[in-house]
Amino acid sequence: MTDHNQSPALSSDLAPVLAVKDLTKDYPGVRAVDNVSFSIQSGTVHCLVGENGAGKSTLVKMLTGALQPTSGSMNVNGSQYEPTNPQDARDGGIATLFQELHVVDELTVLENLTLGMERSRFGFLIKSKLEDRVVQTLYAIEPSIDPSARVSTLSVAQKQIVEIARAASSGASVIIMDEPTAALSEREVERLFAVIRRLRDSAVTVVYISHKLEEIFQLGDAVTVLRDGKHIATKQLSDVDGRSELIEMMIGRSVFQDYSPRGKISDEKVLLAKGLTNSVLRDVSFHINRGEIVGFYGPVGAGKTEIARALFGADKVAGSIEFKGHPVGRSPKEAIAAGIALVPEERRTQGLFTSLSIRENVPVMNLRRLSNNGVFRASVEHDAAVDYVNRLNIATESIDKHTEKLSGGNQQKVVFAKCLFADADLLLLDEPTRGVDVGAKTEIYDIIRNLADEGNSVAIFSSELEEVLGICDRIFLLYAGSLEAEVTNGANVDAPHILNVVTGGHVGGVQ
Amino acid sequence: MAQSSDISQTSLSGGHQVAQFLKNYYIYFVLVGVVVLLSVANLDRYDLFERGNFLYDKNIINILRISAPLLTLAGAFTLLMVSGYIDLSVGSAMSLSAVIYAMLAINGVPFLPAFALTVLAGVGMGLINGFLVVRLKITPVIATLITLSLFKGIALLLVQDGVSAIKSGGGLKMPVWFNSYGREAVWLGLPMAFWIAVVVTIALVVAQNRSLLGKYAAATGGNPTAAKLSGINTSKVVIWLYVLVGVSAALAGIARSSFMSLGDPLSGDGMELSAILVVLIGGTAFSGGEGRVLRSFIGALIIMALTIGMLTLVPAYYQTLVIGAALLAAAASNHLVSRKETAS
Amino acid sequence: MTVTANIGRSLSDDRRKMSDEAFITLLVASVAVGLFLFASLLVPNFFQLLNMLNLVTNNWAVISLGIGVSFLLVSGNFDLSVGGIVALSGVLSVWFAQATGGANALSTGLGLPYWLAITCALGGALAIGALNALFVVKFRIPSIIVTLGTMMLARGIAQVVTQGSQRNTNLPDEFGVLGNMTMFDTSVKLPVAFMLILLLIAIFIERKTVFGRLTYWIGANPIAASLSGIDKEKHVTYLYLFSSLIAGIVGILLASEFKSGYSNRGTLMEFDALVIALLGGVAIAGGFGSVVGMFFGAVILAIVTSAATGMVLSPDWQYILKAIAVFLAIVTQTWALARRNR
Repeated sequence: MTDHNQSPALSSDLAPVLAVKDLTKDYPGVRAVDNVSFSIQSGTVHCLVGENGAGKSTLVKMLTGALQPTSGSMNVNGSQYEPTNPQDARDGGIATLFQELHVVDELTVLENLTLGMERSRFGFLIKSKLEDRVVQTLYAIEPSIDPSARVSTLSVAQKQIVEIARAASSGASVIIMDEPTAALSEREVERLFAVIRRLRDSAVTVVYISHKLEEIFQLGDAVTVLRDGKHIATKQLSDVDGRSELIEMMIGRSVFQDYSPRGKISDEKVLLAKGLTNSVLRDVSFHINRGEIVGFYGPVGAGKTEIARALFGADKVAGSIEFKGHPVGRSPKEAIAAGIALVPEERRTQGLFTSLSIRENVPVMNLRRLSNNGVFRASVEHDAAVDYVNRLNIATESIDKHTEKLSGGNQQKVVFAKCLFADADLLLLDEPTRGVDVGAKTEIYDIIRNLADEGNSVAIFSSELEEVLGICDRIFLLYAGSLEAEVTNGANVDAPHILNVVTGGHVGGVQ
Repeated sequence: MAQSSDISQTSLSGGHQVAQFLKNYYIYFVLVGVVVLLSVANLDRYDLFERGNFLYDKNIINILRISAPLLTLAGAFTLLMVSGYIDLSVGSAMSLSAVIYAMLAINGVPFLPAFALTVLAGVGMGLINGFLVVRLKITPVIATLITLSLFKGIALLLVQDGVSAIKSGGGLKMPVWFNSYGREAVWLGLPMAFWIAVVVTIALVVAQNRSLLGKYAAATGGNPTAAKLSGINTSKVVIWLYVLVGVSAALAGIARSSFMSLGDPLSGDGMELSAILVVLIGGTAFSGGEGRVLRSFIGALIIMALTIGMLTLVPAYYQTLVIGAALLAAAASNHLVSRKETAS
Repeated sequence: MTVTANIGRSLSDDRRKMSDEAFITLLVASVAVGLFLFASLLVPNFFQLLNMLNLVTNNWAVISLGIGVSFLLVSGNFDLSVGGIVALSGVLSVWFAQATGGANALSTGLGLPYWLAITCALGGALAIGALNALFVVKFRIPSIIVTLGTMMLARGIAQVVTQGSQRNTNLPDEFGVLGNMTMFDTSVKLPVAFMLILLLIAIFIERKTVFGRLTYWIGANPIAASLSGIDKEKHVTYLYLFSSLIAGIVGILLASEFKSGYSNRGTLMEFDALVIALLGGVAIAGGFGSVVGMFFGAVILAIVTSAATGMVLSPDWQYILKAIAVFLAIVTQTWALARRNR
């Protein structure tokens, strides 16, 4: 694999439209992007792949001006490029299609296409060539969308195309697309690909980020692989020897050594889920044993969060969920009472009361323990906070510190403390270590193992292969809302196979 | 719409089309319904109407004259709500404008300068609201409650102790032109104040459809992030809209004081509720982005016809109840409509 | 297990740094004291024990309403309907208690016994509260618009019942008792005692009960509250019902005090209740504020308005003074918190 390293910029007669050199981004304690250099040729579809945490999103944020690099440089069309906000990026010719759409539903397609670029006289809009141009651009990439239609009447796929057309007509030379197919049906994906190819033919460069490797082979001209913040390779896709080579480059070798089998796990099934189905999930069935750590692994949009929320009763879902023989899944309140707790995906907006102190955050999920005929037992609250701050090693000088002032890792530990105080027998952890520094990560893994050793069950919903391979006993592999396979973790676990499954190398149903 | 689109488009089913049509045009049916209802009712009991029939031209003229302030206000208020903001101070701004205008007039300032200075005061009031909301980042509801109290207090202080309003007396006399602006027919039997309301509304309809401000108001209310990413200065948009509302409130105050022939510091009380009601009846969503100036204008006509028509059917003390109930009903029906849309 | 590393750390006694809430409450209380001393310098005869007491007792109605309004604000919701409910319950209690067969429509009531009359009047108040909850919780319509609507609805019903004026004749003797009764051989009237007891209960609920803490959790982060198993719909419904119940009692006491049901009673009380809560540091964003702060907010407002009266300012000044006070309160509290948390 070493022979992929540091492959020089591709020889080509075209000048690179975008080049990054020695780009580095440091966070406190972490180097998210490490000395990355590569270049992208004009008029190509350039794919960017890597495991979660490989540095893709940090790289994209630097390209769009949301983050500034610690060191290194970027070049667009041969000139220095130092964006400090999205506007700079647009002016520099780089547009981005984010996962959440930035179109105004209440305006028409045409009004959206010209938004912010209008010609006006005395504040009134005037007809200009701009309209003709954007309509032509839209027609060229997708003739079926009516420019006078209200955007609210369009499908997600069509809205995406409107955004792409806006980027193209604003003169962007590079359009970055971050997982654009996560919410699309297969037919819509094909349609989008046609649009992307037409863009490429009109000399627009597309930087395409996806976990779905078959898309990359269908669409891409070149691919850049990142791993652990480092640049592994940039290659023409025609020179790539199939999925296996890409997967090898993405995984490397070093990562899954810390899993040590945890002895015999009880085969008492505590949770049984059958046929979970909603707008994302497709007939998902599985069970979780007592004292077991299971992982749900798959890329963004595969249905991890949906399963977690369904088990917790936060979203309605068809199918049945039984916990310790009783049906659950109707409301979070019911789930908590039954002994299920959730550490949600978005810590700050869904998990924590950031304007309240650690002390006030900890007891929220177990009012019964807190209440003495409705009166608040301050000593219980106080003792619990002190206890968990110590047990989980939360770095704070006081339990009265506001949680918004804690670091990400310590905030996450407070969310854990909430769930632990709830005396849950099954913990659902949605991306438990996202945005958490390495030290806290290790501590969180220790907490999880201890919980499982004490007989609790844990379900981890993660898009990090290293995480699920490092800690889970059993791993469910998800792709596009269905449970594709189940893998028992161990010394001889087949990581490339796992990556193959979750990137769309279909392997039939659940074993 | 797209023919033979391969991309799955939210197909407009027959039922959905009917719903969409109703949503866009129901307000005109309501207006017709109200007019019919009032035409068959016996309106003799109230001296506002000269003769029994609602459709008798003098009665219509009467209603339209009284409606001028609300009609003036509806458009700008709609645009502000479309951008996702609210102004609870419009009633007080209207009162203060009425007092300022009457004071200027009674002290011998001619019509045009008095008119212009009052409008300028409206600009100032709008700027204060915009400043509190945009620069000091005070929540719109609270910021405009503060100015509600402030404008009302100033209006009350401008009127001498022991006098309820600025009016002729004590050696000062209202000029003759003061009253004619709001009452005297200039065209089709209707006074200047009404035609100003019409002109303001036309201007705002054009602005909503054809100006940067109208488009940016929709973008600011519909998707603020997208608006900012497109390089739109949403702060500036919001300040402009508050100024527009301030100016409309000033014009409404002029119309009201001219119609009543006095500068009453309480004349705008409750106007913020009527404005919200009118905008809700016009189908503007709370969440911003949606809403049409013209529909709110029609909504204002409905509310005025109803309240005045109602005065002839039931005693005046039913008015608060009916407006409150109408506000809740309009809010609930907006909710039901928007829920149906998200469901489909 | 490595995570039990530093059990020895002492965290328990670290209360020296007071919470932001206590800080703001203290700030508000100091402003109230400062303002009182300042007003005493300016206004003759201001510095008197009786005057101090009057500042509070004269405002028993608004302070009582402020309790319900503050709890709702802490949970992230407005309640502007309380003034209307005051009018409604007062008018209803009169109408229900008036004897049948009066000389005209306004002196003819339903002739219910007094206890039944006030129970039914409270039922009317609670109905408005239920309506608030229905629209805010179930229909998810912004609470500001809902409660403006119910404010008019409640007052509108009161106006219809009184035909736009008032009902004050043909009432049983016991009607005037509650509002004028003095307590424990002192000059403290029942309504003032009601306010004091209510304050104590509210402080107890806020500080010492799970219910109080639920209010903060819901206001601080409604999404996290739901995902933590809190039934926020139910809780906000309770808060609206409690607020309307308090307003209903206030309305009945006022009607009893004046022996009349007046449809314009309580006008602008909803704004004053909001104003004192804001002055007292209750944040409209939710999750922050205290009843004690609201109480001192009421004291500040009372000092400002009565000092203005003492300085022979026209009563019209009160609107401007309120506007300035709220403005300064919001700006300084934001500034002080930002500085403190820098």
